[in-house]
Amino acid sequence: MSLAASILAFRRDGRILKLPPYLSALCILVGVVWLLVLPLNEYSRNTYVSENALLPGQVHTYFTGSEHNIFRAYRHEVAALVDKPLDERTRRLGDILRSSGLKVSTQKYEYSSSGRIISGQNVYAILQGPRADATEAIVLVGAWTNMDGEVNHSGVALVLTLARYFKRWSLWSKDIIFLISGDSTTGPQAWVDAYHDSHSPASIEPLSIKSGALQGAIAIDYPAGPWGHRFDKLHIVYDGVNGQLPNLDLFNTAVSIASGQMGIGCTLQRMWKHDDSYQERLQTMLRGMINQGLGHASGPHSSFIPYHVDAITLQTVGDGWHDEMSLGRTVESLFRSLNNLLEHLHQSFFFYLLMQANRFVSIGTYLPSAMLIAVNFTITSIALWVQSGRARKEPTPASTDRKISEKSDMTVVKMDSMVAIVPEPIIAIVERKLFLPLAFVSSAHFLGLLPLYIFNNAPQGALEACFYLTGLLTISLPYLAAFTLSFFRRPSTQETTLIQCFSLLLLGMFLSALATLNFSLSFLVGLFAAPLTFVRPIMPARRSNEKVVGLNLVNPIVVIMIATRYWGADVVNVLVQAAEGWHVWGMWTQVVVWLVWWPAWFAGAVVVAGTLFSNDATETKEA
Amino acid sequence: MAVDKQKALLFGAAAAVRLLLFTAFPSLPNLLTGRVEISTPVTSFKRLQEGVFLYTHNVSPYDGGVFHQAPLLLPLFSLLPNPASHPFATNLLYTIVDLLGANALMQIAETGQSVSSRLFTSSRKDLRWSTIAVGASFLFNPFTVATCIARPTSALTNFFLLTSIAKAAQGASVTCILALSFASYLSLHPILLFPPLLLLCYDVRVTKSKRSLNPLAFSLSHIFGLVIALALLLYLSTLLTGSWEFLAATYGVRLLLPDLTPNVGLWWYFFIEMFDSFREFFLGVFWLHMASYVGGLSFRLRRQPLFVVSSLLGIFAIFQPYPSIADSALYLALVPLYRHIFPLMRYSFLAASTLFYTSFLGPAFYYLWIYAGSGNANFFYAITLVWSLGLSVIVGDSLYAALRDEWEVERPEMHGKEIRRI
Repeated sequence: MSLAASILAFRRDGRILKLPPYLSALCILVGVVWLLVLPLNEYSRNTYVSENALLPGQVHTYFTGSEHNIFRAYRHEVAALVDKPLDERTRRLGDILRSSGLKVSTQKYEYSSSGRIISGQNVYAILQGPRADATEAIVLVGAWTNMDGEVNHSGVALVLTLARYFKRWSLWSKDIIFLISGDSTTGPQAWVDAYHDSHSPASIEPLSIKSGALQGAIAIDYPAGPWGHRFDKLHIVYDGVNGQLPNLDLFNTAVSIASGQMGIGCTLQRMWKHDDSYQERLQTMLRGMINQGLGHASGPHSSFIPYHVDAITLQTVGDGWHDEMSLGRTVESLFRSLNNLLEHLHQSFFFYLLMQANRFVSIGTYLPSAMLIAVNFTITSIALWVQSGRARKEPTPASTDRKISEKSDMTVVKMDSMVAIVPEPIIAIVERKLFLPLAFVSSAHFLGLLPLYIFNNAPQGALEACFYLTGLLTISLPYLAAFTLSFFRRPSTQETTLIQCFSLLLLGMFLSALATLNFSLSFLVGLFAAPLTFVRPIMPARRSNEKVVGLNLVNPIVVIMIATRYWGADVVNVLVQAAEGWHVWGMWTQVVVWLVWWPAWFAGAVVVAGTLFSNDATETKEA
Repeated sequence: MAVDKQKALLFGAAAAVRLLLFTAFPSLPNLLTGRVEISTPVTSFKRLQEGVFLYTHNVSPYDGGVFHQAPLLLPLFSLLPNPASHPFATNLLYTIVDLLGANALMQIAETGQSVSSRLFTSSRKDLRWSTIAVGASFLFNPFTVATCIARPTSALTNFFLLTSIAKAAQGASVTCILALSFASYLSLHPILLFPPLLLLCYDVRVTKSKRSLNPLAFSLSHIFGLVIALALLLYLSTLLTGSWEFLAATYGVRLLLPDLTPNVGLWWYFFIEMFDSFREFFLGVFWLHMASYVGGLSFRLRRQPLFVVSSLLGIFAIFQPYPSIADSALYLALVPLYRHIFPLMRYSFLAASTLFYTSFLGPAFYYLWIYAGSGNANFFYAITLVWSLGLSVIVGDSLYAALRDEWEVERPEMHGKEIRRI
């Protein structure tokens, strides 16, 4: 009882209102440090295969000897098709697969985004497993061109060879689908959409033959030309669209087969050199997070993951002594493992951050860091809510004076228990005027629909102009909004506080929900939006410049611009990719940018700019 | 006159928003209809379509085991053109139902029963929102809009309940009883609102006629009326379907919970986990728990029967077997009538934020569980627990505020003071 009473008394303490900014800063700090300690041995774990049925590397592989001659022949066949028209290429690839005794079908697809038409053709063949009942299938994908646009000569040839080779085995207990897709992103997407009957029939052809539920997919990216190229390492790509990841068991199986059974080193996230130091682990993890946060397709496997089909791409890198047959044997062993599966991969993790081929952290360990960042906004918004309910204090600058006066007020209240007096301003809760803040914050979020629509639908030529215009408008809009508001009815201090309160509340809510779906995106947006916690209305003619410049540096448009400059990417290219992602892959990163991040920044900027146009210099607020 | 113009504007805007959403996003109604947060097995529009299909093909609609809604809905919806090809009539019906509900809510606000009833007048009675604001907070509540777009039959129940409360607050016994019997006929649990509505109606009638009515005769006549109305509805249903089997398929399902499709409530997970031997016992406990609030609240808050009704609606939104956000929308519609006790509520921000957070985390976790396959049922259930917590904080906090308000009328010298439990 006395504890409750002392807590209640503590509630009125002036110091408690000073606490939240520090608490928020602490949350951000701990969140970031949390992430930084993850690569240490104490916080990450070695990977392990938890699905018993997989038995990686337990079988002898027979893909050797005369298969090599067949592979070389197919590689020349593929090289001969490079300059041929699309229809002829499709027909010829189909013929090769058909000559191996498989059922073959083709699929035409056409997408349009940013005023471009993306079209192509997929060829696929189904091997009916001799021991299978056509209820389950695994997919081997060889995209005609890889993510860099190079022709995947050896990859396609390897798929053709393996199709011929697998057909002769009697042990398959799942159907195997060999897919040669037109390219690395749209082709597999069209195919997997059509496989699950969720394609738009107007532009994408349905599949004429199908098998059972897809259990897994492996894509091969081996662009060595007709004369071959020996590679050094396997680069395993595992990021799916929207940051979804395949089951960790699939990745582990591939690593364990490649490095354990075949002696091929494995690498990830373009870390060609990795000597397992702290820096390199951290760098791998951060690269993984950026890829996950961007949510883009990173290979032919990406399109499968949204359908809950675990998939990875095996990419050959470097100059070394491993040849196509080692890669073929790796794939063979991998398929033998997948063939053993009794049920869908479910044992291992779906949420993880990898920092080396055999080291990871799972969601339970890393999630708190994004949650802490999200919580910092909620804390500040609660503090602002409480603050908005307090009566405005008379501006007495020295804190010691005020404390004394508060204390004297308190005693008066307690002694005069018989008289119903009007309580002092510290206790009194001022009525909050909610309408303007609510209307403003919700309209700011609706305003975000405008750039979202424009960037997803503008033709390629107009994108650059749109981008810079939006950037210019974004920078000037807060001042325009503040000016317009002051023209009609200048928002009071309380309303400004409430605008920030609601905006941060929404931001915290969105980010904590997002953290469960796409940890990295939530973390990155949270980090860039973190300054919004600490901005307060500036007083006219007092250190406004740094604040305004600082705030504009974390403006989403500016961040995108700086980031593209840093990685040497072209802004237009990024926007075209994003629009393609929206229309083809079902990517929603831009929804987060325009409907979560941008409105939060806008509201924060309006709060800062709000007092610029007031003549009332007494309207002050202490952060 | 000005109020009428405002009202027309409000209704026009609300109808425009709904019809715009219906026409501009033609896939939205079907998307929302499939959401477990809005459509439950006993209210889903999809299941209603199934029932209507069977009914129009002269098969008993309850044969498939899918349809669990009241039989009288079938002729109504079979009269409308097929919503798959001509959705406009259905959309218009649901929009009108929402507007009529809002109209009833505004009638409740006009009577001022929430601030001063026969036995009690709040000391804060001047602190009120206008009827337009109360109506707007119902019509533009995202939950109400989502319910309207998803077209579950709970929208009809909500309309009948609001009408029933409005008529009780105006002292119109017959309409009140009729509307209540329709609501109970559609979804069973509204019958629990009969005692507080009877009290409300009695208070209003006594105030209006300025003489005391015999309470016993009053309640007996009303009970009799309710029984007649319900019997008539059930008899009509039997005539329509040709047998009494609809009782087991509609009320039986609501009482015995055979369909454990996830929803925002607390029952489904509990009954999935339970050993079958305890099922009957806990069904009894859960129902008894929900029903027990009726007596307690009616006694304790005898002086504010309308508040009892609205608190009970909040409790139903949490504890009924198949709740959805439609029930929460109804409760949240009545909360603004109690603007005068808002200053006394202590956790309004907390509760509102909880509801906000859960309404985003809920779909996210459901997605992780059902579509991404990377979560499990516990994710979604945890969020429904938090959602229920948020609602119960509002219910509990408003109860506290209402009691405190009553107490301050008794002891005006304690106005604005901190209270201390002794």
